[in-house]
Amino acid sequence: MTAPATGPLSGLRVLELADEKGQFCGKLMADLGADVVKIETPGGDATRTVGPFLDDVPGPNRSLSFWHYNTSKRGVTLDLGSGEGKGLFRRLASTADIVLETFKPGYLASLDLGYEALSATDHKLIVCSLTPFGQSGPWRDYLSSDLLHMAAGGQMASSGYDDSDVPDAPPIAPGGGNAWHTGAHYAYMAIMAALVHRTATGEGQHIDASVHDACALSTESAVASYIYRDEVVIRQTGRHHSASPTPRAQYRAKDGKYVNALTGGGRLDPASVRRLAEWFDDHGLAGDLMNERYRDPEVIEENVHHIVEEVIANFIANRTADEVYHEAQERDYPWGAVRAPDELLSDGHLEDRGFWTEVEHTELGRTFVYPGSGAIFNGSPWQISRRAPLVGEHNDEIFGEELGLSREELARLSDSGVI
Amino acid sequence: MALPRALQGIRVVDFTWVRAGPWATRWLGALGAEVIKVEWPEAERGRQSGGNTTPPDVERGLNTSGNFNDTNANKLSVTLNVRSPRGMDLIRRLISVSDAVIENFSSRVLTSWGLGYEELRKLRSDIVYVSMSGFGHTGRHHHYKTFGPVAQAVSGLTFLSGLPDKPPAGWGWSYLDDTGGLYGAMGVLTGIYHRNVTGEGQHIDLSQMITGITLNGPAILDHTVNGRPSRREGFPPGNATHWPGAPLLNNYRGPTAAPHNAYRTSPGGYNDWCVIACFSNGEWQRLAQLMGSPDWATATELAGLDGRLRRQQALDRGIEAWTSTLDKYEVTETCQEAGVRAMPVQSSEDRVEHDPQLRHRDMYLALEHPELGSRKLQNAPFKLRATPAVNHRPSPLIGEHNRQVFEDILGLAHEDLVSGYEDGTFWPVDRVRYPYMEEMLK
Repeated sequence: MTAPATGPLSGLRVLELADEKGQFCGKLMADLGADVVKIETPGGDATRTVGPFLDDVPGPNRSLSFWHYNTSKRGVTLDLGSGEGKGLFRRLASTADIVLETFKPGYLASLDLGYEALSATDHKLIVCSLTPFGQSGPWRDYLSSDLLHMAAGGQMASSGYDDSDVPDAPPIAPGGGNAWHTGAHYAYMAIMAALVHRTATGEGQHIDASVHDACALSTESAVASYIYRDEVVIRQTGRHHSASPTPRAQYRAKDGKYVNALTGGGRLDPASVRRLAEWFDDHGLAGDLMNERYRDPEVIEENVHHIVEEVIANFIANRTADEVYHEAQERDYPWGAVRAPDELLSDGHLEDRGFWTEVEHTELGRTFVYPGSGAIFNGSPWQISRRAPLVGEHNDEIFGEELGLSREELARLSDSGVI
Repeated sequence: MALPRALQGIRVVDFTWVRAGPWATRWLGALGAEVIKVEWPEAERGRQSGGNTTPPDVERGLNTSGNFNDTNANKLSVTLNVRSPRGMDLIRRLISVSDAVIENFSSRVLTSWGLGYEELRKLRSDIVYVSMSGFGHTGRHHHYKTFGPVAQAVSGLTFLSGLPDKPPAGWGWSYLDDTGGLYGAMGVLTGIYHRNVTGEGQHIDLSQMITGITLNGPAILDHTVNGRPSRREGFPPGNATHWPGAPLLNNYRGPTAAPHNAYRTSPGGYNDWCVIACFSNGEWQRLAQLMGSPDWATATELAGLDGRLRRQQALDRGIEAWTSTLDKYEVTETCQEAGVRAMPVQSSEDRVEHDPQLRHRDMYLALEHPELGSRKLQNAPFKLRATPAVNHRPSPLIGEHNRQVFEDILGLAHEDLVSGYEDGTFWPVDRVRYPYMEEMLK
């Protein structure tokens, strides 16, 4: 079946008034086909000042972070605080299905642009307010950041080092800005649920989404360990937190890279030790594993430490991380190389799935490779349709061509700082 | 409940197991979908996984895992031997009256059962089929297997977390089971929305590992655009935005700032830590005042970001000398009231018992479970005003809803249900039945 060119959210218009908290949610909707119009303050939003930058030179149109999180969107600038800005926003909102906003609780309402005001004339509108802590409560007005959410949400209490790797280590906040990703994933889910409801009933609604709530949910069984057993987990290098210490999982390979080779208690039976032995023996690294005595499960039980910490660790230490990863997987051991982001570009599997996406930057006359989508939709593609907008790039197109403002009006609004 | 649910009338056939898939369907259930979990006790993975979370005074078994209870709230459970002709016939009939099918098996399992997408379409032409395998259903490594930490390692997520010149710290749990689960739910919702608008179903082929890659965007662009290697001096810089002495480059968490770290708090226990971050000179000045404006903190060389970045170690020592005298919640309140970014490092106990915001948001409300008693379950992190997503039932006992699903939905006669227990369609003939099953068969 040939895929049509439009994504599953084609036909939807989204107004995005979002900083680091919501821009990834907007990207998901835009890459999935929605017409996402990003509304920034005149001059551009602060998310444009976050590095890294093209050639390490800062500039509003040079932030690679902004590039990544704002693909497939169009962009306008608008001063919501001005009377004319409010009017223009109301006109845009009347054309929209969804407003995604990350302002402080109450800010849009103080401008008479909150859900109550906007929905009064458009009951189909969906407004999602994605904030650090939600629209009410004792922490409502607290400041936040990715690090702060990783602390309060429980990510840090679960992540860090074995004492043998880094004595007295602090809890470590996992990198990459994932508090915002987690908040954005749940916000996307809530918006889609509201859309499904709207297709059935014709009614929109307001969504109050919280990054803190979202992060607090995302530590797998840590909360269950406490609720059901009163246990608080400890941090361990490169593997699950646990109520009590578990065997290590990461081993250093010949090339200095690491392999996650968690064998798990149940996997070391006579058959699996035999398969490991035959694999290692091909490289002269089986140690004593070919010995017949390992046909006895009790002998394996007594020698787990030797098998894992000496034979397996030694095998990995004498091969490259990639060799171990692929050879293990071909033998049905779910091991993986700890790959750095730049090492993913040469992965043939990603090539087979058409993952990497060439995105044209016409303003630079260059094309760059971007990470594409996490899934293949066989009926409506999930794909990047264009690079992130330059500051105010679509002011003429949206305010002029779509809302019908004249050239003169646009020039005047630009001069007076409204757009 | 007075208010409707967003997914009212949507039926999902749920073949998922372990964590990522069940985490997806849990949210579909909370949103109001009728989620029918299809299980078989002999091939069961998930009712006892995720470490031991059975209360110490309860016998471990298929119906007593706390983690399972939280991960599988809001669903119905049927047991069905899909490898028997009768079981396969019933599952095909169930799919034909459902909106979506979701599974997280390895890549060829459903096709080997004769339930690949083309077959599913014949049963229900507009079916939304979401597969959640480790590497996806296409590509040379589709047969590779993952669990959370391995997918995280291969995707690049693990590498970005840790201290320089140390092994990667990575993530202390299966972040990509949580996140993979979210993508599973997002996929079903997106597919259902698209179907409601166009009348067309589709196959959504998710890869747990690849969704992880998409979370490393700025790090990848720093390489594809700037040619910067990911393995470099001072990277990753732990909780800091920049490792002292290393070249000043972005660490992909957000703005470059100092202070930006974790600090010990009183009384010095395992989780007695807080984090503080100052994103402007003004925020730093306010922090210095809170600390009593000591000479070291008001020194002019710390007034600007460059100076603070160069002197991070001394800065962090000074801040920790102050935080060590306070409880982590005191640090948080003191700082936040003065407009300084701070938060406690919260353990699971802290979140459930001490976090006033999560309490205000009703994040942990209890439901009664027949074997586990009244237990708090984790609630949705969003408030849909017209269609709240609220946990409305605890996890199902295995096979608890066979009668409801096979008789009420598929119209099976009661004697056919009974005979299905005798011929091994609904439960292995040589396996002891739970009392609630006997009750169902009366």
